[in-house]
Amino acid sequence: MAEKFAKTASLYSQDVSPTVSSTLLSSDIAREQLLEECEELWKQMEECQNKLTLEEIETVPGSDAKLLLLMKQVKSLTAELNLWQQRKPEIITTNPDVLVALGRDQLQKLDHELEMVLSTVQAKNKKLKQDLLREERWLEEQQQLIDCLNQTEEEISKEVVQFSEKRTFQELKSKMLKVKDYKDEILNALGEFLEEHFPLPEEDGTAKKKKHSSAKQDVQLITLHEILENLIHKIIKSPHDPYVTINASFWSPYIELLLRYGIALRHPEDPNRIRLENFHQ
Amino acid sequence: MKEDCHLTTSLPLPAERDHIRPRIDLIVFMINLQSKYSLKDIEASLLHVDANFFLGKVCFLAIGAGRMNQISVETNVVLRLADRYCSPVLFCELECEKIRIATAQRLLQMLKICAGHLPGISALSFSSKIKNSIDD
Repeated sequence: MAEKFAKTASLYSQDVSPTVSSTLLSSDIAREQLLEECEELWKQMEECQNKLTLEEIETVPGSDAKLLLLMKQVKSLTAELNLWQQRKPEIITTNPDVLVALGRDQLQKLDHELEMVLSTVQAKNKKLKQDLLREERWLEEQQQLIDCLNQTEEEISKEVVQFSEKRTFQELKSKMLKVKDYKDEILNALGEFLEEHFPLPEEDGTAKKKKHSSAKQDVQLITLHEILENLIHKIIKSPHDPYVTINASFWSPYIELLLRYGIALRHPEDPNRIRLENFHQ
Repeated sequence: MKEDCHLTTSLPLPAERDHIRPRIDLIVFMINLQSKYSLKDIEASLLHVDANFFLGKVCFLAIGAGRMNQISVETNVVLRLADRYCSPVLFCELECEKIRIATAQRLLQMLKICAGHLPGISALSFSSKIKNSIDD
């Protein structure tokens, strides 16, 4: 029953559109014919509609809804399928004027729709081309970036020097040797300088002076160089007790010299002890 | 073709006006995702709908999915409901005019098909075509 309803509905939906009917105003016979056919179809539809309304209402329970509905869908779809398979092309009217007008109308609609499809496809095509262009440009930029980074990496990797313990050790050794050489050099220079400018007091050859200073010169005097060496040695080796006791071997004028120029300092409590000034701290 | 729209907050429709009511071609259930009661009302109303309507003449319209922080009903709940009743779901934002217009156009097109104004497409075949694309 639903099939019959569907059939008549599909026939009715192909009905004459208003544009077509307006062109047929001149041909009255055609109009009359069409109206008759419409009336017949309408009567058939009313019959179907009445039958439908007399059917009882079937509501869908919430729990089995999907199963029920799917089964109903299967039934209806198979009915529709049968209908389509049985359908033969039918002409709604034999009147040539109507057919011509109808045909023209349908072709115009088709033309319009195809034009819309064409413009949509063209617009999409254009957009895709633009996208492609953009993506290609982006790819190019990324490629350039990669090349640049690779270059930088190469350059930097050349400068990287592998850490080698042996080489570090060698370097330290050579540094130490250099420092030692320098130390010896400046010590020699210091010694030469002191010898030249601050020599030990010479022993006077005259007997007079010998008598006077014989008591004083019982002890062998040590050079200023040696005094300084002692002081340096004491302060480096024992920084907590850098004081050296003055003994007779130190020639007093030199001690005064050292004290006056701030190279040595006296012990605050004991005048017989001196130390070297902190030049190294 | 003249479209007529009948709004109601819940089904079933009052029985006293049954004889003057025109034929209903499409039922659109509007679910407000920002309110829990909306979904409950609709679930209650669905029980009063004749089974024949679910062969393509029912559509669910979910509103308010744009504000994710204010929704109280999850979108997949709505999707499951629609799947249970074998009907399509449309999502719409009422505040945005463009989306509103586009959804209205879609609904009108669906109405045309459900009323049988497009030859060769029945409501059932149309809805089964939409459904397949959703499931994918």
